[in-house]
Amino acid sequence: MNLLRIELRKILPYRTAWVILGIFTGLLLLVLYAASNFSINGSAIGSDVYRFPNIWQTITYVASYFNLLLGILIIVLITDEYTFRTLRQQVISGLSRADLVLAKFYVVLGLAAISTLYLLALGLYFGLLYSSVKTGEAILGQIDFLSYYFVQATGYMALAMLSGFLIRKSGLAIIAFIAYAKIVEPLIHYSLPDEVDKYFPMKVLGSLSPMPGQKLIDQLTSPTELLSPIWATLPAIGYIGLFLLLSYAILKLRDL
Amino acid sequence: MAIVLDIQHLSKKYGSLQAVDNLTLQVEAGSIYGLLGPNGSGKTTTLGMVLDVINPSSGSFTWFGKPVSRDTKRRIGALLETPNFYPYLSASQNLRLYASIKGADPASINEMLDLVGLGTRSHSAFSGFSLGMKQRLALAAAMLANPEVLVLDEPTNGLDPQGIAEVRDLILRIAAQGKTIILASHLLDEVEKVCTHVAVLQAGKLKVNGPVTNILAKTEQVLISTDEAGRALQLLEHLPYVTSFASEKECIAVTLQENYTSADLNRDMFAQQIVLSQLVVRRKSLEAQFLEITKNNA
Repeated sequence: MNLLRIELRKILPYRTAWVILGIFTGLLLLVLYAASNFSINGSAIGSDVYRFPNIWQTITYVASYFNLLLGILIIVLITDEYTFRTLRQQVISGLSRADLVLAKFYVVLGLAAISTLYLLALGLYFGLLYSSVKTGEAILGQIDFLSYYFVQATGYMALAMLSGFLIRKSGLAIIAFIAYAKIVEPLIHYSLPDEVDKYFPMKVLGSLSPMPGQKLIDQLTSPTELLSPIWATLPAIGYIGLFLLLSYAILKLRDL
Repeated sequence: MAIVLDIQHLSKKYGSLQAVDNLTLQVEAGSIYGLLGPNGSGKTTTLGMVLDVINPSSGSFTWFGKPVSRDTKRRIGALLETPNFYPYLSASQNLRLYASIKGADPASINEMLDLVGLGTRSHSAFSGFSLGMKQRLALAAAMLANPEVLVLDEPTNGLDPQGIAEVRDLILRIAAQGKTIILASHLLDEVEKVCTHVAVLQAGKLKVNGPVTNILAKTEQVLISTDEAGRALQLLEHLPYVTSFASEKECIAVTLQENYTSADLNRDMFAQQIVLSQLVVRRKSLEAQFLEITKNNA
């Protein structure tokens, strides 16, 4: 836990970290609020997808797009250490390479926990606003989407971490991270059959927050094969472990 | 004497560049060990390897007879190349962070800041510091947790003359507490003034190492003046331990063999009733010595 305390000493006074977190919380709130007022065929979306228990799937699906911001924050925190050459000084002072990776992973877990709690608060707020049935059963009905979201956010940030340790320059690392998540892997998906690409990291992470109404869309178009959230959890945790191991290997093999 | 740092056949290759080539040396406890060499001679690479931030291509080293670990690192304070701090944190916040890594008492932070003369700036952000202040903060960080060994890479880099004098004074004061100091520098004068031992590196190779006095005092040059220059010159020709002598403007420059000193010369002169009006020992400076060492082996 000393590692986490050391990380907090760096992050808490760091304005950039607060700004990125502020953008994350602000934008998420704004999008959820704005979307609740959309209407389709005269009936407001809010009346359906914002009700318990659907709200949990809706909110985690929307939040999944903002994982990129959390990833950017992690990349900034890691590449800063290269810019300031502080990784080097921390190793001189006593940390091992494994400590460096672990310390950042604690930050990842911490941020995932905070954003999950934030989603819990948002979900309760919008849910109570739009639901007519407010029994405990209804509220907690699909709350397990929050735990899938926690794994997903951790996975995105673990990939961002790998990108940061690998590339070391903030701008390039952010571009590589977004390009892989949003362009490179989706392009690979096109050329591969669904039964194979559903195990790819971005698709696995995406499967943790399925789109509300996906079933409806699948009836109209040819369905894409996805893992169910519960089946995606295991490979997602496997990828997180892989990203951590690769980060460690990079630190171990390269000079600081 | 206990060996603090034992380096065995350490090498580092960057592509085709051999930065450090089969370096073997030992640093004894309590010494001020100077690592001397021109820029690019492998000093920083060597220190980076023993400080666990650069992977050696081959060879090994031990600290206090043990491989590098969290435990050995806690006993070493180091300043490598540049002062490395978080620019947005204040001096004391930065030190607090490193103190928690080293397990140092947070109460010692203000003491360290006072020691390096940053007591009044402890709450200013690191980014606003001058190079000299950054360097002094790095020294303060290196001294956290009261280490037995200080590794300092160009510690007077970027300091003004007064700052340089202060840092030297600080090094001597720390050494007086019985700590071991390993100091890399390209400034001969610096090494000559503070170090007890010196290793000269050139192009990654160890050229010579040993106590500074040994390396410096291999040959001693003595300047003498006397009213009876003629007789003195005659005598010098017959003294067996005089390797060479030459008349200069006002005096005679005499080079003595090893293990002979100006006292021997003075005694023999006086025995022949030649009274010297001046007797000056001119040690060959480290600079002359250094140029000779690096030239011979180039």
